[in-house]
Amino acid sequence: MRKKQTASDLALLGGAPVFDEVRSTSNLVRPDIEQFLAYSKMFFDQHRYTHDGPLVEIMEQRLAEFHGTPFCIAFCSGFWALVLTMKCLALAGKNEVVMPSFTYRRMADLAAWVGLTPHYCEIDATSLAMTAELAAACIGPRTALLMGVHPIVNTCDVEGLERLSAQSGIPLLFDSVESTYETYRGKKIGAFGRAECFSMHASKLVNGFEAGYVTTRDPELAAQLRRMREFGFVAPDHVETLGMNAKLNEIHAAMALAGLDDLEQQVSRNRLRYRAYQQAFAAIPGVRLLEFDERERTSYKTIVVELNADWPLSRATTLSLLHAEKILARPYYSPPLHHKKTSYPTIFADLPITDALAERFMLMPCGHFVTEDDIAQLAELMRFIGAHAAQIEKGVL
Amino acid sequence: MTYTKHTPLDFALLGGPPMLDKLLPVGQLYFPSWDRYDAAMRGIFERQYYTNHGPLAQQFEARLADFFQVKHAICVTNGTLGLIMAVKALGLQGRVIVPAMTSIACAQALTWAGVQPVFCDADPDTYQMSLEHVHMLLEREAGICAILGVNLWGGSCDPQALERLAERFGVEVYFDSAHAFACTIAGHPLGRFGRLEVFSFHQSNLLSTTEGGCITTNDDALAARLRNIRSSYGAGPAVEVPLTSNGRFSEAQAAIGLLNLESCAEALSNNRASFEQYQLLLQAIPGIELLTARGVEQTNYQHLVCEIDETLFGMSRDALLAVLKAENIDAQRLYYPGIHRSAPYVDECATALPQTDRLCGRLIQLPIGALASTEKIAQIGAVIAAAQRHAGALATSNKAVL
Repeated sequence: MRKKQTASDLALLGGAPVFDEVRSTSNLVRPDIEQFLAYSKMFFDQHRYTHDGPLVEIMEQRLAEFHGTPFCIAFCSGFWALVLTMKCLALAGKNEVVMPSFTYRRMADLAAWVGLTPHYCEIDATSLAMTAELAAACIGPRTALLMGVHPIVNTCDVEGLERLSAQSGIPLLFDSVESTYETYRGKKIGAFGRAECFSMHASKLVNGFEAGYVTTRDPELAAQLRRMREFGFVAPDHVETLGMNAKLNEIHAAMALAGLDDLEQQVSRNRLRYRAYQQAFAAIPGVRLLEFDERERTSYKTIVVELNADWPLSRATTLSLLHAEKILARPYYSPPLHHKKTSYPTIFADLPITDALAERFMLMPCGHFVTEDDIAQLAELMRFIGAHAAQIEKGVL
Repeated sequence: MTYTKHTPLDFALLGGPPMLDKLLPVGQLYFPSWDRYDAAMRGIFERQYYTNHGPLAQQFEARLADFFQVKHAICVTNGTLGLIMAVKALGLQGRVIVPAMTSIACAQALTWAGVQPVFCDADPDTYQMSLEHVHMLLEREAGICAILGVNLWGGSCDPQALERLAERFGVEVYFDSAHAFACTIAGHPLGRFGRLEVFSFHQSNLLSTTEGGCITTNDDALAARLRNIRSSYGAGPAVEVPLTSNGRFSEAQAAIGLLNLESCAEALSNNRASFEQYQLLLQAIPGIELLTARGVEQTNYQHLVCEIDETLFGMSRDALLAVLKAENIDAQRLYYPGIHRSAPYVDECATALPQTDRLCGRLIQLPIGALASTEKIAQIGAVIAAAQRHAGALATSNKAVL
């Protein structure tokens, strides 16, 4: 690392950046090329590049086993997997979907594609997720669906939300994009609620270029989703339901399979990175590393820190400083959805906890391109920034 | 080698050996050689750039814009998502005229995007959408905001005439050109008509990226909205859009697209040779007519479509289909029974579309493309000729099947 002596050594203030190459928060894990090509050979030899090809089928079986669910249905992306599943599960004649505001930036748009109105729910300050109690306050006569969204670190109140769904009769769908590998009370994520949705975008735990899937225990839902991803066909020349093209192609499935082959090793590498973060970030004043719950299985993938009251700079300034150093840290789900202008109606009450936490969390570099040494340098930089806050403020202004 | 089926019992449908060992699909199915695939994928693994409008996607978009002679070619996950995004980018609200004899994706895209389809019939001469009927609908129906013109089977629906109609009635017009890659009108490739055109790079089309598609337009503002709806990566400047989605195009898709684009002329001439072979084989058989692409100067020959006259041929289109399938020739009906007779539209659509209904009962698609070798086409021709010759006997020997 180019040693920073004074605030003016910071890249934002004219110094040389810490890194020559960008360090990002995207996982971008690279599976073994030979493995990927070996899978590719299977569809290549059969001349089947999409449309119920051999690899999509193998991938679905493998993921169903992985999650311990009878059914897995592959899609072209997590986005359309969620849209189609929302469409299937929303109660007829009702139009509101309960979801946290502190979540994925397109979550409200997802609901809007199926004509549902987002009803934003408050989050619990510790888990950064919606709890059953908070969700219950948002349920009304028009509620069609509960979206249980797992936060980036650890899981949400699965049991409470399942109980709430059972009591209220409102279907529960989990957005488990950030929890592919996790367990809840020892049981694999994937078999909860009516269904769970996952993404295999290159930035996620399993890199399938672009891909997504749904797991469910419900055979009818599985059959319906399979039909809907292919225009609603139940037989040749026979469409029975509204569908679209949400098929996954075989190359992306080959990539995902090679990624699954490497998954346990990847988690071990992620664990080492996380341990490095734990060690390096243990004593930086004002910075708290969000801890993985190691009583459960976890992927150790995404690293989140909180800038608390002792941190002397705003998150925006901190991010600008880091970006100048080629550290592409990102704000955690910012802004929360209830602060965004939309072309469709949304519903929300005061969300004081969400508002209070909205400017506090950052995603730190993680994944394939980040070494333990990088993490030590990151910590040193954060410590330096913290210690030189006053000069930085002057320099930035 | 001859492939004659001498007696009805030689037909696989009646227990004879099938003409082909393995099922031959209808789609184009062009794909790079293994070596080229291997090299392209190694390149992606070296760059470690997998999606989010990467270098190959950018390069492919630039090549496509050149090819189509348009300012913007915006690659998308698949053509159907392109059609859905188009409605949102155009800001359509109300009802959109669309042919009933086309892929159901056209109507479904409208439904997903919150507008209602109004179905128009097919033209009795060109079999493309009927401009006369479009005209009538524009005059008679309330709330029409746009026409989704569809260029079918390597032909065109006369986009210039549709543009004139749209202008006259003050509605938008855009095109589904899923089948129209490399087809030309007035010396130019299709791709620059209406507000935009949507192409499909599904494996069944001439230019394949396995799944995929692109939207072409010369309208900067519209292109900006489409890029923003597709995703924030590669979107350029942020502009206001009603909804975002994930319509991204991966580096793997782009790699296949770039390679297939390079060998596209070769694929097209293979298609042309196959078409000409079919012409020779089928011209002497009564009751089957090979359709030629209408409304274009140059076609891509990617759809091999025939019309069956049951009286002359001696058996119905569906009976022939059963004969061919048993021989491992995966011939298809085309858009049977018509979108207006499919869920959920059948419930809302009371209109009779006589030409669509007639054609949906008579048209058959035969294999053409990478897997349909000269030999296989000769075998297909032989089966069809024999089926016609033995039509009567086939029908009597197995009424239950036919």
